[in-house]
Amino acid sequence: MEACSISNLKLREFGCEQSLLSRPDGSASFIQGDTSVCAGVYGPAEVKVSKEIYDRATLEVLIQPKVGLAGVRERSQEQCVRETCEASLLLSLHPRSSLTLVLQVIHDDGSLLSCFLNAACMALMDAGLPMSCLFCGVTCAISADGQIVTDPTAAQEKESRALMTFAIDSTERNILMSSTKGSFSVHELQQCIVVSQKASEKMFQFYRDSVKRRYSKYL
Amino acid sequence: MKETPLSNCERDFLLKAIEEKKRLDGRQTYDYRTIKVTFGTDYGCCFVDLGKTRVMAQVSCEIVAPKESRPNEGIVFFNIELSPMASPTFEQGRQSELSVKLNRQLERCLRNSKCIDTESLCVVSGEKVWQIRVDVHVLNHDGNLMDASSIAAITALCHFRRPDVSTQGDEITVYSPEERDPIPLSVYHMPICVSFSFFQQGTYLLVDPCEREERVMDGLLMIAMNKHREICSIQSSGGIMLLKEQVMRCSKIASVKVSEITELVGKALENDRKARKAGEKCGFAESLPQERITALKTDKTPVEAMDVTEKVDDIIQKAEVPPLSVPSPSLPVPGVGQVGQNTWGLDEEEEEEEEGEEDRDSSGEEEEKGTKTQKEKDKDEVVELSDSEEEEVVILHPDT
Amino acid sequence: MAGLELLSDQGYRLDGRKATEVRKVQARMGVFAQADGSAYLEQGNTKALAVVYGPHEMRGSRSRTLHDRAVINCQYSMATFSTAERKRRPHGDRKSTEMSLHLKQTFEAAVMTQLYPRSQIDIYVKILQSDGGNYSVCVNAATLAVIDAGIPMRDYVCACTVGFVDETPLADLCYAEESGGVSSLALALLPRGGQIALLQMDARLHQDHLEALIEAAMIACKGVSKVLDEVVRQHLQEVSMLTAE
Repeated sequence: MEACSISNLKLREFGCEQSLLSRPDGSASFIQGDTSVCAGVYGPAEVKVSKEIYDRATLEVLIQPKVGLAGVRERSQEQCVRETCEASLLLSLHPRSSLTLVLQVIHDDGSLLSCFLNAACMALMDAGLPMSCLFCGVTCAISADGQIVTDPTAAQEKESRALMTFAIDSTERNILMSSTKGSFSVHELQQCIVVSQKASEKMFQFYRDSVKRRYSKYL
Repeated sequence: MKETPLSNCERDFLLKAIEEKKRLDGRQTYDYRTIKVTFGTDYGCCFVDLGKTRVMAQVSCEIVAPKESRPNEGIVFFNIELSPMASPTFEQGRQSELSVKLNRQLERCLRNSKCIDTESLCVVSGEKVWQIRVDVHVLNHDGNLMDASSIAAITALCHFRRPDVSTQGDEITVYSPEERDPIPLSVYHMPICVSFSFFQQGTYLLVDPCEREERVMDGLLMIAMNKHREICSIQSSGGIMLLKEQVMRCSKIASVKVSEITELVGKALENDRKARKAGEKCGFAESLPQERITALKTDKTPVEAMDVTEKVDDIIQKAEVPPLSVPSPSLPVPGVGQVGQNTWGLDEEEEEEEEGEEDRDSSGEEEEKGTKTQKEKDKDEVVELSDSEEEEVVILHPDT
Repeated sequence: MAGLELLSDQGYRLDGRKATEVRKVQARMGVFAQADGSAYLEQGNTKALAVVYGPHEMRGSRSRTLHDRAVINCQYSMATFSTAERKRRPHGDRKSTEMSLHLKQTFEAAVMTQLYPRSQIDIYVKILQSDGGNYSVCVNAATLAVIDAGIPMRDYVCACTVGFVDETPLADLCYAEESGGVSSLALALLPRGGQIALLQMDARLHQDHLEALIEAAMIACKGVSKVLDEVVRQHLQEVSMLTAE
């Protein structure tokens, strides 16, 4: 297939609020356009003997949909988020402990998985858990006429030919996790990866800005 | 996770303070915490903040077959989810005692009091009715989940708009929000729960207990009322003994509180309606408090995609050439179960006859050669395709 | 509701009772030899069977042991043949769990649990025939069973369901009256001190009528407690006569 046209790539407006819940150790809500997600982290805390690992912390991710009970789709999203977090958290600093990350969908208007990843990263930062790198999630969609769209809305996702979400780390812009749907060529995949890496720069800048703003009273 | 036990000194401190009419956050005995009601982007989504307790309610609807005992009434279903985010003691598997209690309480308060007109939810009597589903998610537990959930549920029901439906004979057409304006539900009255907690065997009473106060309380009395001073539900829980005078006093306090809360909810609904009419953007995003340093918002940002194409071509070139794919997926290596001679009947004579025909495989053969040279050496022992079941196949010798 | 007149002009209800009359209560104690305490109670057409085991060692989860009191464990279930339509899920559904919690709460207030630390008392109640006032009949039956088991209580626990029709409180509702959309209030009372162990009300009722309703419930409960007292004394007489010989 030919290369897609890449022009006019934008990220929707995003916003985030940290420490909005009093009970969890770390919490954050992340908003991308109309999609918003709330995340809460508990940990390191006591772990059930059946689930304990002798040299690492046990990370558990729970995704709650807005309506109805969690199903198979939520389970697969939980898997993606968990593997990303396990790659970046320093789990061996807290053996025999549990880390619980709970994500609640507030509104879904496309790019849900990347919103989960971003909210998760901000909540883990807010909880003060040691991480080797930060990560962010970026979604790319390839529309029917070959255009690459970053951060698609639900309507754009429905009309797309392929949908890809990448979790990118902050130190070397490597891909920590990828989840794709639909058909696309190798060339298109590489284009989307590079586009996501470019977009992730904006995300990391946003992380830096929000943390700077948060601790502005102490610095 | 197991609940961290409350230390004795904390318990004694709280009880002593209550005896002196002092509360942890400085409220008076009959004071509620600040209640904040905000709405989400779509109809039927609402957030309630009762102090630090945070609750989200979402109303959705779908068309189902009605119950046999009530063929011309719609169905309303309530569900309170205690999210593990709200408290470390809440686990994902439901049916804890608290969960059952809250769910039953909400059902009794809203369903038995008939606050929604279920007969207007009927589309085709006996066959199709609307099922309204209210999901309440508890996001942060800082005491008094029942009140917050009831406020959230009834506000979300008032805020919700269901799609318009028209019936022509047997056919039902459901109109999307763009085609026809969605219709609000007909809510007769708004029942709101007020919780009273009792301490020291019923001597002291507090309204709207926070989480610490809930841990040391002896029992709870919950009264659900609407602003017309009709009691919709009373429930006492915990092992306390009440006197009639206490119940009457609580009901008087409840009527005052309920009218205040109903006014607040009404104002919030009115503001939201005006904002939507004026075309402003509504939703959770808009309610993000900008003045706080823990919150940050940016606008739409473009992503620079200048050198993407060059980078991509670069990457692809540098990548290794993937192995060429084999045209036929069936590589007839001597089978695992094959013992001894292949006695399936491809005789020597038949092979010779077929060799003369067919040249179809020439291109395939060349690719095969290419594959053979690139792959490991053991593949040289791969038997020719002539052992396959196809009879037309002819193998050209490698030197042709 | 169409048709059924819950309270006629002369003041008679569907089954001929007056507004403040409670249905006929008949009870027997000690119906099971194996259980520590048991009782069978009929209130009108509603029949309930209560069985008590305990106090005994904590079974099941040792972690729920309380160091200074006994744990009361209640289970409420309805027989599948108890209602007009066969009950498909006799226990485990939300309503039964809620009832069990209410029963537990009621008896925690009345039983002197401080006398048995680190123990468990089991109360099982089964409704054999349901004709309204399920909760009240269960509580009355369970009271007799607890007394039969010899577990000390502060006072009898009597319960009654009252409804409100035409500005009049009706004591002890039957099924037809309950399902007629009448506001019903269930009250569990310790008669001597006038203390309310459990108060539960559904459906709309204006605040001004609340006092009258609670008052009517308390009077009805006191009436029931007299009957229960009679039953206990008679049972004791029978038992003492048998053991004396």
